[in-house]
Amino acid sequence: MGGTAILIAVFYGVVVVISVGIVIAVAASTISRGPMDERKAAHRERNWLLIVIVLLVVLLLGTIFFIPYGKTAPRNSQVVNVTAYQFGWLLSRQTVKANVPVEFVLKSKDVNHDFGVYDSKGVYLFQIGVVPTYTQKLVHTFTKPGRYDILCLEYCGLEHDAMEAHFEVVP
Amino acid sequence: MRDTARRLTLQYVVASTIILLASGLLGVIIRDSQANLGRIDTNTWYALMTAHGLGAFVGWAGFAVMGFAFWILQEVGFELRRFGLAMARLTWWLMVVGVGGILVSTLVMHFAGSWVFLYPIPFHSAGQWGKWATAIFLTSVLLVGLSIVTWCLSIVDTVIGPGLHAVSTNIFNRLGVAMGFGYLWPKRFGTNPEQVPYVVIPLTVIALDMIVATLPLAVLLVEMIIQTFAPSVHVSPLLAKNVLWWFGHPVVYLLLFPAVAIYYYIVPKLANRKLVAGNVIAIAWVIAVIANVFVFAHHVYLDYPSGTPQAVINTAMQPITFSLTIPSALSLYSLFFTIYRSDWKWTGASTALFLGLVSWLTAGLSGVVNATIAFDVVVHNTLWIVGHFHHMALLNIGFAIFGAIYYFIPDLTGKPLYSDLMARWHIWLTFVFGLVSFGLWLVQGLEGAPRRFAVLPDRYVSLSQAAIPFVIALALTQLLFVYNIVQTMRGAQKKPRSVATAEALFILAAVAAAIGIGVIGFFLGRDTAPKKSSGSATPTVTAPATTTATTTSAAEAGKALFVSSCGSCHTLKDAGTSGEVGPNLDDVKPDAARVAKQVTNGGKIMPSFKGSLTPAQITAVSAYVASVAGK
Repeated sequence: MGGTAILIAVFYGVVVVISVGIVIAVAASTISRGPMDERKAAHRERNWLLIVIVLLVVLLLGTIFFIPYGKTAPRNSQVVNVTAYQFGWLLSRQTVKANVPVEFVLKSKDVNHDFGVYDSKGVYLFQIGVVPTYTQKLVHTFTKPGRYDILCLEYCGLEHDAMEAHFEVVP
Repeated sequence: MRDTARRLTLQYVVASTIILLASGLLGVIIRDSQANLGRIDTNTWYALMTAHGLGAFVGWAGFAVMGFAFWILQEVGFELRRFGLAMARLTWWLMVVGVGGILVSTLVMHFAGSWVFLYPIPFHSAGQWGKWATAIFLTSVLLVGLSIVTWCLSIVDTVIGPGLHAVSTNIFNRLGVAMGFGYLWPKRFGTNPEQVPYVVIPLTVIALDMIVATLPLAVLLVEMIIQTFAPSVHVSPLLAKNVLWWFGHPVVYLLLFPAVAIYYYIVPKLANRKLVAGNVIAIAWVIAVIANVFVFAHHVYLDYPSGTPQAVINTAMQPITFSLTIPSALSLYSLFFTIYRSDWKWTGASTALFLGLVSWLTAGLSGVVNATIAFDVVVHNTLWIVGHFHHMALLNIGFAIFGAIYYFIPDLTGKPLYSDLMARWHIWLTFVFGLVSFGLWLVQGLEGAPRRFAVLPDRYVSLSQAAIPFVIALALTQLLFVYNIVQTMRGAQKKPRSVATAEALFILAAVAAAIGIGVIGFFLGRDTAPKKSSGSATPTVTAPATTTATTTSAAEAGKALFVSSCGSCHTLKDAGTSGEVGPNLDDVKPDAARVAKQVTNGGKIMPSFKGSLTPAQITAVSAYVASVAGK
């Protein structure tokens, strides 16, 4: 699991635990019933709306700056032209240097594909959709030398799951 | 009139339940295959996935909640009028014929373009399906789309009818009243004497949204049907992707919003009090009607081709998608407070609805992860997404449907539910087995396991296998539901508690036996699973032989085979061939497994060599190509 995946697991785990606590309290309340002011609860729904809005705004502001868009390749980038086709990848070079930005320039010859890259331990790193007739670009700097595997992550037909390739990152 | 609505609803429920059983079975088959148990060939796998997705999603869940919408409207005083009834009947036929066509084009004619049939994949079949399969599939989906539109027209006609008690006769004003605007602007959207029932609001919202959402897809489908026979006609693949999701997102809410109407109607009845809701809940639905059709691009967060505005559109989608959690957040508040400290009895129906709300909350939270771009970059196109929507579809929408069936069936059939105890067993077991089955997908997704893979890379297979006993148990648990409903409809006498318990235990024993079989299958499957991650048809590629002599002779045999069988189409420097029909193998540098798979199955234009070469020969040529390509 990568760092962001662990963050998601923790985030999701925490909110689920809180949720389960709430629903157990609601379920238990039907067994040992007590008085409830329904009108008050209905009136307080607006407070809940405010809380939800605040939580969403916090999450939005905390994450919106980590979007993958708009990154431009620095001058010293190593350019790798990638052509996706049913069912394989053609790479213009098989090795790139570590710690120097790599610009992947991707095109598809036929249908939608998705360029997904995994490190030598099988840990997922990143992906970008490859839409036919368009050119898509992605910049990534590899820090660890080794073999990196490419999988297609957008369903593209019969041999979608076998559409593999790899490249090497050298020091 | 009540009889008409009753018959209509029963028709919808029966047809959709049959589709559930069929498409559920397909789901079990493909998941077993993915775990190396009963491996099916790749094209069949993707064809079944296509049928399972559309069948379960629209043909079961969508169809079932569409039917209950009529009954709930009837129960709150909105009768189907002539036009609405005609549309409701037309909807049933369009849906049944459409789903039938989808099953024929996928299961019989091998169409495997996936249930999102992402343009232009239907026209790039790699030789697996023909034009007619494509045409019949697309036409069938078009029929399903039209059935959604006719259902929307039926709902719109019904909600603006006399049951609304709106002051105005203006059709737009009445639609506003039906969407709950009267709670916010009582003077402008006046009613006499009472406000519109809450259950009407989500139904009106989705009926209006789905008309807006479906029409562009219908145009795209017509274009694709024409393109099937006239390949020179085409559209931008990026536009097509957006149009698909312009429909593809709201159609999710075609399931959720009528399910919300089910909760809004039944939960207060069971709790014996009114829905605990402030006027503020109407705000949620104003947000919903707008945001629902403007969140489509969160499905394409990771498509942002250079020189297009897609990145900007995608960025805007995050706050809009977030805003769409507000209807869920407020509805859950209202529904849980309706139950809180109420006179809530734990029956089959009430358990289903309560656990459905629990799933709505927890599956909704995994949806928040997907909605967040910075998180989506990790979970996009992985099994996390599959876990999220199965959790939502079966354990939230499905539980609203099961709850509605258990609650309404005495009213709909005139006969008491056969066994409420069996209903509770059904719900609890489905909940537990479902959570494990879908939860494991969440874990696999976080580990980077791709979705829509007939054969997953080896590292994910053990968790796939761990899920199988639970998946089979989940499927068998549905027999409790089927048995209970069939007995009810036959008018079987209600059994005393002890007999019902014995029956449930008997069916459970069958479930347990199945788990046992699943566990045995797990170990057998693990031992016999191919070591390489490629398909079952692929011969196992052995490591290079240990002695130099055999290595050389194997390499020579491989080289000779390559020159005679492959060289006319492929360039490979070591073999001295320069064919240009297929890719230059010195450029592709495939590994042995990839070569073996390609040679065995063939490709887009490449023939399969399964019949003309022996497995040993394929192994030899694969090992040879892998060892010399690019050198």
